[in-house]
Formats: sequence, structure tokens, C-alpha cells
Amino acid sequence: MIWLKGAFVVDPGQNLAAERDVVLKDGMIVKIAPNLQPEDVEAVLGLQSLEEIRQINAEGKYLFPGLVDVHVHLREPGQEDKEDIRSGSRAAIRGGFTSILAMANTIPVIDQRALVEFVRLQGQRAGFAKVYPVAAVTKGFKGEELVEMADLFEGGAVAFSDDGQGIQNAEIMRLALEYAKLTGCPIIAHCEDKNLAGKGVMRRGEASARLGLRGIPASAESVMVARDVLLAAETQGKLHIAHVSTKESVQIIKKAKEFGVDVTAEVNPHHLLFTDEDISLTATAYKVNPPLPTRADQEALIEGLLDGTIDMLATDHAPHTWEDKAKPFAEVPFGISALETALAAVWQGLVAKGKLSVPKLVELWSLKPAERFGLAAGTLKIGAPADMVLFDPDCKEVISADNLESKGHNTPFLGKEMQGFPVMVWVNGKLLLENRKIIDVKQYI
Amino acid sequence: MKWRHKDLLDLDALQAEEIEHILHTAGPMKEILLRPMRKLPTLRGKSVVLLFYEPSTRTRTSFETAAKILGADTTNFSVAQSSVNKGESLLDTARTLQAMNVDLVIVRHSSSGAAEFLAQELRAGVINGGDGEHAHPTQALLDLFTLKEKLGSLQNKKIVIVGDILHSRVARSNVLGLKKLGAEVVLVGPPTLLPAEMKYLGVKLSYDLDAELPGADAVMALRLQLERQQSGLFPSIREYSKLYSLNRQRIKRTGKRTIVLHPGPMNRGIEIASDLAESPLSVIDEQVTNGVAVRMALIYLLIGGTSGDMA
Repeated sequence: MIWLKGAFVVDPGQNLAAERDVVLKDGMIVKIAPNLQPEDVEAVLGLQSLEEIRQINAEGKYLFPGLVDVHVHLREPGQEDKEDIRSGSRAAIRGGFTSILAMANTIPVIDQRALVEFVRLQGQRAGFAKVYPVAAVTKGFKGEELVEMADLFEGGAVAFSDDGQGIQNAEIMRLALEYAKLTGCPIIAHCEDKNLAGKGVMRRGEASARLGLRGIPASAESVMVARDVLLAAETQGKLHIAHVSTKESVQIIKKAKEFGVDVTAEVNPHHLLFTDEDISLTATAYKVNPPLPTRADQEALIEGLLDGTIDMLATDHAPHTWEDKAKPFAEVPFGISALETALAAVWQGLVAKGKLSVPKLVELWSLKPAERFGLAAGTLKIGAPADMVLFDPDCKEVISADNLESKGHNTPFLGKEMQGFPVMVWVNGKLLLENRKIIDVKQYI
Repeated sequence: MKWRHKDLLDLDALQAEEIEHILHTAGPMKEILLRPMRKLPTLRGKSVVLLFYEPSTRTRTSFETAAKILGADTTNFSVAQSSVNKGESLLDTARTLQAMNVDLVIVRHSSSGAAEFLAQELRAGVINGGDGEHAHPTQALLDLFTLKEKLGSLQNKKIVIVGDILHSRVARSNVLGLKKLGAEVVLVGPPTLLPAEMKYLGVKLSYDLDAELPGADAVMALRLQLERQQSGLFPSIREYSKLYSLNRQRIKRTGKRTIVLHPGPMNRGIEIASDLAESPLSVIDEQVTNGVAVRMALIYLLIGGTSGDMA
């Protein structure tokens, strides 16, 4: 039982942004009110004294509902040298994420019920962030035959996606949007036309021309976004666009929403904070897919985020080993390891600069993603699971291989000091992070 | 002038005076090269490794000849017979070379940035012998040397470079160098090989060779990779040649005694006609000679700085 005193609670789900005390019991939020007195707390908990209650002074800190990240690569099964479900879900907690969606591009691909259940169980065994599996759309990511969506849904899948690959065949995408209606789950689209993307390694433009690196035109993404919203409109299917990175994609999604298409979209922090001009030939931590956008795209993404065209933030956490990234730029894999830096990055880059309000931040990274994917998360209403983040805007930390929980150190922030971190994180009322350190829980099973 | 660079990765890192200094140093090197007896003790005891990940005869031989004339020991680390084929990474190869305490590594690699990657890892100097589609600074330097030898100062001279600009490291490095020396550069090619983003170079881009030739002091044809046609970048070799091939008839449009360069190896009859390549306007063979001289100058500047007199 916990009595959290004087936190500045930001919970757009109940239109709350004010100083409050919060009381937890049995993993749930049981009271949220200003300036509670000991007798109030005793009454709520039905106790005679406060002896068994941990009292925490949270003045000067924010309390958010646990963040929900709908785009994470945990690499297990198959590539446990890059990450596994335990290390990735610990990294999530350190980053303030209490619920994460694990993408299906593992080895093997998550295209059968047994694999979905494995991912879910591995998450439970680890006991850190809640791990929700995303299943593949097509068997083996081949883009040919749909997976057994109904069975996978029963096994715990919360969405379907061939993320990392994309679906080149428009008819398969159309069928997926239709068939997924059996489950009510969204199809998460990785929008990339493979022919247009070619052998590109960064956004096509003057920056790629200068570096002599093959370019990926913006159209490689945008034409697929256009295709997929048209298919969602025609089928009345449920579509979520992953990692939007171009101005044209934002315009298309905005138009689709005006027409009433059931589409949502996410943007990754790195697309909001870096551009193609930040890339140098040896900066392989900046190689990511979709590639870092131009300045004009970035402005459109931020505008889309503020006007509601883009519904949520997501990390696209993509860990790799250091030797994977210790090669010439064209040869390294795409991906940024982001769970432990994303919140601080957005805090420093957008919130502290006044471009994004704190309630909007929480809406984008907790409320909206929980709503879209039907998770019991995203708000601190009474009776909700006590997934919470105590966030200290003054907390500073130098990002280093020594303090990262993720096995992937492939972040542009490595070696840099950042500000604004979670200092305490609870999942179902259980404290899993304190003073920036994971509280180890005993593994069971 | 005190030489301040450990490596030569591209010409953007050099100031105009430094480029002039290399070219100036290459002058006496060329004289040495043309002597009947050409072996100097200058770099005796220095080791130069040639690390070529892409097939190359002329560039590798040019560097090797340059290093040998200066008295350095050269080692060929060519891909076919090396541990690279056993899957050794560039990083581990770099560490191996470091452990052997070599003085200079000359690298050619198909990935842009490979030379910079090595330079970061190695205490030894690194010369970029061509990295991906990024840079080929020694080719640019030998072209600058050749142009200056023929044209004198390059200030306001009109230089036309024609061909596959998009994929050309030769064009990129040449433009950087030519701009620093005050030349007016025009890049010419079909739109698919000269996309709008090449405007970052800050020079004129044109699709029309015949319109750009008048007034040109020099024209450089780039080698056309024939596989570009297969990937659909232009419809046929025939049409490409019709629009962009250099020949004796076409070069008359310059209205001057224009010199013709080609970095080699040539596709005769495709980007350049044999009659022009063999004509007195062609300086292609001299480019090869000058390549050795310029590379001698560069190797000397990079690792000969403490070894006293050069010749």
C-alpha cells in the first residue's frame, strides 16, 4: 500500500493536471485527491494506522499514467544477442513504459498461436513492463497468405503487422483489413514500397547526395500510406500507420480522417528530433527506417502531432549489437534503440521548449495508444491498474552502456547527458524502478 | 607550408592553399618519375598497405608505384586472398593493420564512408582510394594537376563533366576541388543520373551537352557503368551515346582547343569515341602519369614529413 503525496498528476483521461495525493491498494488506484490527511488514508484503506503504508513525498515531480509504447522490437525469439523480452521489458520500465507492443519480426516470425503465447508468457515471466504481442499479418512475413488471425487473437495478439517488411501486394493488404474484423484488432502498416526504397540507406535528398549514400525517396512511404488508407476506406477496416515520417503521409492521413476512415498514426521521437542533415558517414546510430526526414517533413510531423492527425508517439525501439553497427553506414542494419532515451528526448526537445504541453505528451504516449489497442492502461482513474510513472523533470543522466538495461546501445544519445527521467515506476502497484535503478524481481516458473 | 592532416578522405577537408601545395609538390615528383633511374630513399623503412576491396588495376598500381619510387615498402592486402573472404569485418581488419604498426593505409571500398571509418580506427594515415559513391580525392587531385598543367590557372575556366553524375565519386571530388580553385563547373547528364539533389554541389546542372560545350576549356567524360541501363536508369546505350558521348565532331562546338579527360577505364564508343580519345586533345595518358606524381606528393606529405629532404 502506497500513499504518494503532492505529485503533480497529469491524466488527460480524466482531464486532470493538478497537485494530488494518490493511494494504491491491491495494485489499483483507490483514491486520488488533493491534500489527504492520515485519517483520510486510513479510512480509504480501512486501517487503524499508517504503519504498513509506504509514504512517498512526490512534490516537484509529475505523476503520469504508465506510458504505452505500441512499437517495440524485443528480438526474442531468435536474436537474443540484440535484445530479449526480459532485457527489453526492463529497458521499458527504465524509460517509463509500463505497457509495450512487441513486433512480430523475430526469428521465427510470430505467425502462430504458440509463438504469440510464448511472447506473452516471456513477458509475464520477466515481470517488468506488460508485454503485448503483435502477430504477423502474413505467414512467415512472405506477404502471401494471412495468418490464423482469430486463433492468434485468442492467444493474446493485440494487433497484426508485418512491420519491418511491409506488405507489397495490395490485395493481401485489402484481405488483411477485411479479415482482421473478426478480431477487432488494427492492422499496423509498415508503409514502404520496396521498389522505390531500393538499396537506399537514408532519405533521398541533398544530404544523401553529399554523402554519396543511396537515397530512399519520401514517396517510398507516402505511396503506401495512400494505398493503405484507400484500402481501409473501401473495406472499413481498422488501420494504424506505423512510424510516419513524411509531410505527404501527414497530408494523406489528415484527408483520410476527414473522410471518416478508421485510421490512426504514430510518429517516432527520432523523426521529430533529428533530420537527414544530422547524418554523417560514421554516425551509424542515426541509420533508421523510415530514414530521418528533411526539416520540412519534421515541421509537418510536429504540426500533425499537435492538430491530431498523428495520434500517438511510439519509439520503434530497434536494438542491435555494437558490432552490427560498427561498419560503414551502408552496411549496418536500420534501427535506433530508444526505450530508455525517448521520453527524455521528447521532454527536452519538445516539452521543455514549449512545443508540446505535458497533458498532450501523456495523451500521445499513454491514453491514445491504450485506447486504440484496447489495453487496460492509459489513465489513473479510480479502479484502474496502478501503472504509474513518477517523472522528475530535473533528473539528469549521462546515457552510457553501463546504465542502459537494453542490450542495444545503438542510440544517437550514447555518451550524452539528458534531462527528464522517470524516478519511480509501478506496474500493477508494484514498484519496479527507484532512483533510476530497476528493482529486481524474483523470476518465477 | 606545414602539413596538418593525418589522412586524406576528401577534398572538402582541404583549403585551396593545401590543394595548391599538393599540386606544387607533385611537380618535382613528376620529374623524378620521368627520370631513367627513379628510386628514392625518402620513405625507406615506411610501410604502406594497399587495402583494395573493389577490383582496381590502375589506381592500385598507381599508388603502389608512387610508394615504391619513394622507397616505402608496400603490401597488397587484396580481397581475393585475404581473411576478408573469411568474413572478417573492416573493423577487425583495421585492428590487425594497427597491430602491425603500418604507416599508411590506402583503401578502396564499395561503401561510402569506409575510408573515414578506417581513419577513426587507425593511428596510421589513411588515403581514400575511392569509397562507394562518396569520394575519390586522388583522382580529383590528378585531374586538377593535369588541368593546371594544360590550362594554367583554373580561375574562371569552364569545365564540363558529363555522364553518370549521381553515382560518381570522381565527379563529386572533382567539383569540390575545382570550386576551391575558382573554376566554373557544369555537370551534364540525363535527368535520372543527374537528379535535382545534386544541386547541393552549387554548380550548374544541365541535361543538354551540346548547349554546354561552347566555351568549355576542358571536358571530362565519366565512365558509364553499363549495369545502370539494366536497372532502368536510361533506355539504351545507343540513346545515351547519341546524347552524351564525346567525339571529335561534337567537341568542335566548344569553339576552343578544348582538352578532354577521362578517369578510365574507358568504354570506347560509349561515353567517348576512340577518335577523340586518341586525338591530340586527349590528355588521358597524361592523367595516368600525373596520377603517380600526385600520389607520390601525397604519400610524401602524409608520412614523409619527418624524414628530411624529399629529393
